[in-house]
Order: sequence, then C-alpha cells, then structure tokens
Amino acid sequence: MSDGLEENLHAALHRAAERAPRAPGALSSQVAARSRRRRARAHALFAAAAVVVVAGGTGLAVRGAGGDTAPPVLSPSPASTAGTASRTPSPPAVPEPVEEVWPQAVWKIPARLPGGGKFQPRAFIDDRTVLLETWQSFEKANALYAYDLETGDVRKVTDIRTPKGVFASGYSVGEGRIVWQTIEEGAGDESKGTRVTKFWSVPVGGGEPTAVTTDRPVVGRGDRLAVTGGRLAFSRFEGGVFTVPLGGGTVEPVPGADRHHILRWPWVGTPSEYTPDGEPSFEELLNAETGETSRAAVRPGERNVRCGVTVCAGDRGDGTSFHRSRDGSQELDLPSGVSAEPALDRFYAVHLPRPLGGQYLYDRLTGRSGDLGLRPNARGESIAITLSPGVNDGRLVAYPLKGKYVIIDLERLAEGS
Amino acid sequence: MDDDSRFADFVAERADALLRYGYVLSGDPHDAADLTQEALTRLHRAWSRVRRKSDPESYVRTTMARLHVGVWRLRRRERLVWDLPEGAHLDAPPSDTEQGLWRALEDLPRKQRAVLVLRYYEQLTDAEIARVLGVSRGTVRSHASLGLGRLRSAVPHPTTADRSAR
Repeated sequence: MSDGLEENLHAALHRAAERAPRAPGALSSQVAARSRRRRARAHALFAAAAVVVVAGGTGLAVRGAGGDTAPPVLSPSPASTAGTASRTPSPPAVPEPVEEVWPQAVWKIPARLPGGGKFQPRAFIDDRTVLLETWQSFEKANALYAYDLETGDVRKVTDIRTPKGVFASGYSVGEGRIVWQTIEEGAGDESKGTRVTKFWSVPVGGGEPTAVTTDRPVVGRGDRLAVTGGRLAFSRFEGGVFTVPLGGGTVEPVPGADRHHILRWPWVGTPSEYTPDGEPSFEELLNAETGETSRAAVRPGERNVRCGVTVCAGDRGDGTSFHRSRDGSQELDLPSGVSAEPALDRFYAVHLPRPLGGQYLYDRLTGRSGDLGLRPNARGESIAITLSPGVNDGRLVAYPLKGKYVIIDLERLAEGS
Repeated sequence: MDDDSRFADFVAERADALLRYGYVLSGDPHDAADLTQEALTRLHRAWSRVRRKSDPESYVRTTMARLHVGVWRLRRRERLVWDLPEGAHLDAPPSDTEQGLWRALEDLPRKQRAVLVLRYYEQLTDAEIARVLGVSRGTVRSHASLGLGRLRSAVPHPTTADRSAR
C-alpha cells in the first residue's frame, strides 16, 4: 500500500506495546494456584451444591455474574488475596496522609494555571520552585512556567515551539539553566530510521530557548540530561554518555561509559531502566568524575531487580520483595504491594490492598509511611505513581488529586527525617 | 524438570511479551492483565497436553485473541490489582500519526482490531489469522479491509502529514 498506513500501524502498535504493564515476579505460582482452585471448585459444584449456593450468596453477588470467586491472581498484596467469599478481611491499616506525615515536603497547588490551562510538573528549579510544562496537544509542550510553592506565584519561563511530531522531553535544571531535548525522527521505519537528538536551554529567570549546538549531529535518542560544571551531560537510549559545553561546542564521550546511561550525575550505569529481557537495571555503575565503579550483587531466582546509586530492590522467587545495599549486604524486606523501584535509594510506592486501593509512600530508612490519597474510581481504576530515577528529575513526585496537584519533594523529605 | 517448573519458566520468560500482546489487542492495561491471567490459567490446566502436542506460546496467544473477540466478558477491574506503571517509560514519544492510529483503533469493532493486530503486530499471514480466530480467510480479508479503511479515514494521509513537518 502506498500511503504508509500499514507501516505506521506497525510502528504505532509496537510503540504502544511499550506502555503495557509488566508481570509481577510471582505470576506463575499465582496462576497455578488459581488454576488448582478452579479445578477444586468444579469438583465442589458437584459434591456440595448447597454449600456453594450459600457461598454464592455472599460472594458472587459482589463479583458480578462471572461466577469466579477466585481472588485476584495478579495482586501483589497478600491482604487482597486472603479475602474469600465467606470471610470479611480485616480493614488494612492506612497510613496517615503524606501532608501530615511530612508537612515540610508536601504541597497541594491548584491543578490549573491562573488562565485556566492545564500543566504537568516536571522538575524542581530550586527548593521552592517547580517547573511546569503546558501542552498544546497530547504530550506536545508549548511553554514552561515556574511555580513558587511559597507564594503561589506563576511566571512564564519561555515558549516552546517544536516541529510536528517532535516533542520536548528530559527536563533538567542546574547552574541557573533549564535544559531539555527534542528528538527528530529520521527517514525510514523504526528499526532503520536515524533519529537525531537536539538540546536546548533557557535561563531559569526566563528568556528565549537557545540551542546547545553540537559539532556533529547527536545520532540516537537522548534519555537523561544533567548540568554539571558548565557542561550539559546526556546519555543516549542506545547507550553512551557524553558532555558538551552549555554554550555549544564539541561533544565529548565520557571515558568507559559507551554503554552507559545517566542514573544520578555523576553516576552513570548499564543497563538502563529499560530492560526488555528482565535484566537488573543499573547493574554496573561508573562515577563519571572519579572513575569509581560498582557492580550490584544479584542472586539466582530474583526478578525485576532495580538498582540505584547505593541500593537495589527486587522480587524474590517466592513473591516477597527486598531492599539491600548494592553489594548484597543489609538485606531487608519491603512491604507487600510494593513497587520495588527505589527513589533516592530509600523511597518506595506501595499499593494498598483492594478494595481500598491506592498507594502510599514508604521511606525504607525511617520506616515511616504516608498515604498519597489516591483511590480507585467506580470502575476500579486509579492513578498510580511510579518512583524511579527516570521519573521527572528523580526528586519530584507529582500527581493530580481532587482538583489539586500534589507536589512532593523527596530531597526535602529525606533531609527532614 | 517437572511440569510446574517448566510452566514457571515459561511464564517468567514470556509473561511480559504476552502482556504487550494483550495490550495492543485490547488497548487497555487492565484488560491486558486480565487476558494474560486468564489465558495462562487455561494453559496451566492444559499444560501437559499442550506441551506434548503444540507450542504453549501459540496456544496462549490464540486463547487471548479468541477470548478478546469472543463472548467472554472481562470480569475485571474490581478483582484485579495491577501494578500499572503510570507514565510508563517510553524510549521516544510517539508521533502524531501513531497517536492518532492508536486512538482510532479504539473505535474499531473487536474483530477488526484483532485482525489488524494479528497482521501488523504479530505479522501473521491471513491464513494463520483465520486459524487463530477460527474464521474463514475471506472474513479475515474483509475485516482487515474494513478496519484499514476506517483507520485511513480517521488519520488521513499519515505519511504526507509527517513529511510536511520535516
């Protein structure tokens, strides 16, 4: 077909597939258990019809016409898998709200700009100012704003204009400048096309964006940026860490980091968070300034291992989750329902069991927890936050809640406790 | 190696790929999780027979496609706690055309969408698609042509639009 529809459809499907949920580590044992329960129930239907009817009176009505009273197989939380038709699970202990547990580090700001526009919080500009991005269409930024958390004042930093199909991403702030990237698709399909990444910067005080010119095109897709010592550091999705003067100039590779990605400058590592075959993320680390290296200890049978600068978290073969030092020492359990991705090497998002649902923020270092206030809607859907070094600037947690935006500063939270 | 550990290995290796398939098939992360869970449960019950006679992966994928287009209704949401990564990591943002196509797929009838996914995501031939869905090849062709036609009218001249931007 000549109009490219089929190629575009192929690309659109593969791109969308990247957004699919990931399987929990204990899936196979949970599926097997469900399969056996289903078999047992089939026998019970013949053997004890009266009992089944009674159970159905309390259980099936809740679950609808499906007739399947098996608990959710994919649930990572024991509290929700323990509930059966005939028992009422005791209500889970819900932590106090985040804003009460850590009042110094949590803000609720209006979810709209004074003019009514929607925004996405992207990063902290400084300890009291958040960088907001507004969109002209889905994910297509058209302006940046600075929001002052103490006064509530909003000021425009700059307008952003990008060609059709090109999006600004990867915001990072340092040395008085905001930097970001745009990725332009080359000719050809996803596998053959050559993408080129360009970098931009604007003073935090406002102004016109200027291109961070590079002596040669940066082939590939930028993934994370950092500002350090008058230079812009960036890594490519395909691997490789480089720096270029903020004012533009020669792109220089970071020695020994040709497969690496920025984790938290000066720490770079490999593989990145994108691990399609389930490899541990950031298993190898390199300090781009000192040359120090670190290799994370990973044990057989562990899954979804996600590493930070000093710790790793993941799932054991039995469905429980751990947190420990990169060298394998000081292993501790994480609560059930946790998304075992450490932020700042100590914070985790943990799912509350259904039917309540929602998530809380858990500080592994102090053991304190704060409820994020997120709850499922009538259809059972809820917003879930993800904590990981790759989300925002590694410090900002932001989510909409009841007409407000909740802003959490993980660094301030870490300092204050 | 016993059956259960072979099953566990299969799930560990293939679950994420099956979830991706379920997601493009249904367009919804909850449905993707539910389809995967249900198909794997059925595979578990049939494991020894499937391993003897056919390929577990194609069994699961066929089950998922048939569940999705069939009368099986997703008994879901209240029952499924899924660790959904919101704002999942994308290696690059999708183009306008890709977003438009993804949205337009939502409006297709399930069978049309399933045929397009099997053809352009799974890269199956029309004969293979006919076998998976248990329909004739003519039906596959007509679903594909109807589905493509609707996408084409929803996202007009995608290639031209993208080129004009460069």
